[in-house]
Amino acid sequence: MKKHILIVDDEADIRDLLNEFLSGNDYRVTTVGSAGEAMLAGQSDPPDLIISDLQLENTDGLEMIANLKKAIPGKPVILLTGVLFDPEVVEGVLSTKVDSYLMKTTPLSRILETVRNLLKE
Amino acid sequence: MIAVSTVAVRNIGRSVDSNDWVNHTHAVILETEALRSSLLVANGTLHTYVLTGDPRDQTACRNALADIDDHFQILSALTRLAPTDHAKVGQLELPINRYSRSIEELLVAKAAGQDNTVRTLLEASTINNAVREMERVIKSLKDNQLALLTERDTASYHQSQTTRWTVWTGVALNVLLLAGVAWLIRDDLSARRQVTTALEEANRFLESRVKERTRELGSANRHLSTENLERRWANHSLEHQLRYNQRIIDSISDLVFVTTHSLNISRVNPAVLHVTGADSTSLISKPLKEVVRLVVAPAGSLSPLPDPLKYALKAGQDLRDQPAEIQDRLGQRIPVVLSLFPLRDNNRVVGGIITLRVTRPASKHSA
Repeated sequence: MKKHILIVDDEADIRDLLNEFLSGNDYRVTTVGSAGEAMLAGQSDPPDLIISDLQLENTDGLEMIANLKKAIPGKPVILLTGVLFDPEVVEGVLSTKVDSYLMKTTPLSRILETVRNLLKE
Repeated sequence: MIAVSTVAVRNIGRSVDSNDWVNHTHAVILETEALRSSLLVANGTLHTYVLTGDPRDQTACRNALADIDDHFQILSALTRLAPTDHAKVGQLELPINRYSRSIEELLVAKAAGQDNTVRTLLEASTINNAVREMERVIKSLKDNQLALLTERDTASYHQSQTTRWTVWTGVALNVLLLAGVAWLIRDDLSARRQVTTALEEANRFLESRVKERTRELGSANRHLSTENLERRWANHSLEHQLRYNQRIIDSISDLVFVTTHSLNISRVNPAVLHVTGADSTSLISKPLKEVVRLVVAPAGSLSPLPDPLKYALKAGQDLRDQPAEIQDRLGQRIPVVLSLFPLRDNNRVVGGIITLRVTRPASKHSA
């Protein structure tokens, strides 16, 4: 059975590209554009892994991730963002909230590798 | 095969003709014998009548004479197409006529009770001569026919043998031909099987090459698709990053100038336009010193440097928090605190980033 990935990003192009790439690598993908849609999708069809942007319209991505983890605990989260963080910030703050942090400039192959590692494939 | 068939058919035709001739010859012989028998019957019944005077014997004799005539006619008809035999049969006509007349005379004389006439006629040699003549001709005719039969039997036998040998030779030739054809067909089949095998092998090879090529193309296609996706992702994420960075820079309230190595302005942020009231086209490519100047020489310098900014840029050093002034479009000087940072590309200084923090607000200008 295919593993299910939930993608949360307010940019349609980002969602479409990630969907095309991950579907082509044999994953079932759900894409949403807001925190509200993410909560609904996560509860109705719990994913195996979540990829989220930090900068979401009307909400903070980390806050949404915290709420999702409460609703569907135990699911790994990748923060995929265009905002450049300092390594200390990543180590100190983000590592407690997410399982992996990647820049949006990270190649797709590297993103796939991170997904597989977190899903233990 | 055609030649053998032609010869066989011709020989069979000849055999049929020969059979017809034999049947005809037997018919002639039979009629000859029948004629002779009728002659004997006529003689016998004649003598019986002469002895008995019984009218029935007379009738029998006359019947025998009629039979002789019938058989003569039949013989004549049978030999119509054979001139030699026909001529020989013709030789019977006179003696038969003489005999018939003599017998008739005797019968009449006997019927009339003229025994002396009967005796005279019997003693005369006319009847005997006729009979002898007829028997001679009949014997000659019969012997001739028998000789021809024997000759024809021999010829027929030879012909049958020839036909048999012709047919058997034909059969043997046909068997040889068939064997030859079978051998050629076998060769042809063998060659076709070899060609089929070669074609099948070539086909299998082509199929495997096609499959291999299809796999390669599929793999190349997947690779290209992945590369394409990566390219699109990279383009999009770079564009996204640039957009974010631009927004961050545009939202800074400090004035930011980007200059070339020679300190000509190449880029300004919106804060510059807002504070100076100038538009970007009037500032781009202008020397920075026409807009901004340091108020005092940098601290720690031994002597005032003619152009501290150029010096710092050339040395690749930062210059921080230096008092300076910026001139707006109305010529009004606005005090600022200046910092300079070399703009590096692969560790080479290619320009400078100059930030100005306004220390005393000036009158607002629309940007």
